[in-house]
Amino acid sequence: MIYKYKELLSELTKREIKARYKQSVLGYAWVILNPFFQMLVMAFVFSKILRITDLGVPYALFLYVGLLPWNLFAASITSSMNSLVGNGSLLTKIYFPREIFVISTILAKIVDFLLASIVLVIFFIFFHQQVTLNIFWILPIFLIQQLFTFGLSLVLSAFNLFYRDIQYLFGLILLTWMYITPVIYPTEMFPEQYRWIFKLNPMAIFINAYRQVMLGGGLPNFTSLGIALGLSLVMVVIGYKIFKNLEGMFADVV
Amino acid sequence: MSSDVAISIQHVSKLFRKQNQRTFKELIPALFGGKKVAESFWALKDIDLEIKKGETIGIIGVNGSGKSTLLKLIAGVSQPTKGKITTVGRMAPLIELGAGFHPELTGRENVYLNGIILGMTRAEVDAKFKEIVDFAEIWDFIDQPVKHYSSGMYLRLAFAVAIHTEPEILLIDEILAVGDTAFQAKCFKKMDEFKKNKVAIMYVSHNMDSVRTFCDKVLYIDDNKMAEFGKKDLVLDQYLSKI
Repeated sequence: MIYKYKELLSELTKREIKARYKQSVLGYAWVILNPFFQMLVMAFVFSKILRITDLGVPYALFLYVGLLPWNLFAASITSSMNSLVGNGSLLTKIYFPREIFVISTILAKIVDFLLASIVLVIFFIFFHQQVTLNIFWILPIFLIQQLFTFGLSLVLSAFNLFYRDIQYLFGLILLTWMYITPVIYPTEMFPEQYRWIFKLNPMAIFINAYRQVMLGGGLPNFTSLGIALGLSLVMVVIGYKIFKNLEGMFADVV
Repeated sequence: MSSDVAISIQHVSKLFRKQNQRTFKELIPALFGGKKVAESFWALKDIDLEIKKGETIGIIGVNGSGKSTLLKLIAGVSQPTKGKITTVGRMAPLIELGAGFHPELTGRENVYLNGIILGMTRAEVDAKFKEIVDFAEIWDFIDQPVKHYSSGMYLRLAFAVAIHTEPEILLIDEILAVGDTAFQAKCFKKMDEFKKNKVAIMYVSHNMDSVRTFCDKVLYIDDNKMAEFGKKDLVLDQYLSKI
């Protein structure tokens, strides 16, 4: 079904990518520079001031492996939430499946993510970080993460059309969410009695899994990944149902 | 539905819910205070008509009578509360022209973007590109971002894209006041061409003269109901005598 709209999808994705940086001098370089400087600042704070040590790998590397997928998640959700509101004039004019707005937004963010990942590759070379074939597990982990992101984006983008508070509320939730996800610290530093949070938090599962296969060289925890896959599928099914149920009202409320 | 019908509107009604509270700040007290969260009203009541291929229907009525709502229902962006609408063929909505344009992108990029939004393939836009820009008379600026366009140029380009999608149904909402007199004449000429090619046209306008010259039949919507539908002179005279 979506296949029929593949040209539209690619055109909207391109619009998203092209338009954003057209007016800035450095243009698309910001996509790489932003997370890089964010990482530098955080690496300084957490390895020199708060001193997170004994990781087995340089903190900068440890952080970046978690920060990039987290940033992708946060940026995808934030932009998706605005994708319907921002395309209001199209919503009231011509019909095509509305999830195309959400998908094209997420695709554009994935392109950003891939570009930002170039720095990570350079880091791996710079720090002589050894990798094993298990690194290829990042692909299924990444796909499951995108499923989860898509499902959540569907719900939030639709709700945000009815009540704009959703985007502000979710801004707060995202901030909290990042701190209950082992992005800037390792799981082991989190108080043991609260560690169950990570078992039910798909983002924690993804980020631990990335570190496991990229830095640890081992296999991901399949039980956790299974839970994440289950939660993500439920999220997509519920999200899609809600989205499609509300879709007929989008043009009336925007 | 017989094969020469382009749009079939069967007993269509649309209930609008006026969402009085757009933020939680308004919603939460309303919920606790027992106030009505949403008020509803009928934007359209029992509209029932068929439009054949090649017919041009003028839609008239005072502001707020439901004309634009009807176009939205036909375009499929809004769902009828009751009844059913069936359309056959590719539709070009000439409503809010350039809705899909992005100000930072160039004219060229926007032609592709909008053409594909309106249902063309990339190859189709390729094939029509010259014709579109010729029609819009915008060659000198085609590689400039459209934010630098004058409003006339912007509309001309958007209009040119929309009519080159080879529509079978055309929805027009008060936009033929695009550009200067010469361009308007060109638009109407193109419309006549469409009529000859069996395109069904729904034309919303407050300009009775253009409705009289351009349309075959007229739908007069009053108080969100079909007040009159039929031969243009009859309906127009009735409308003009009423207001």
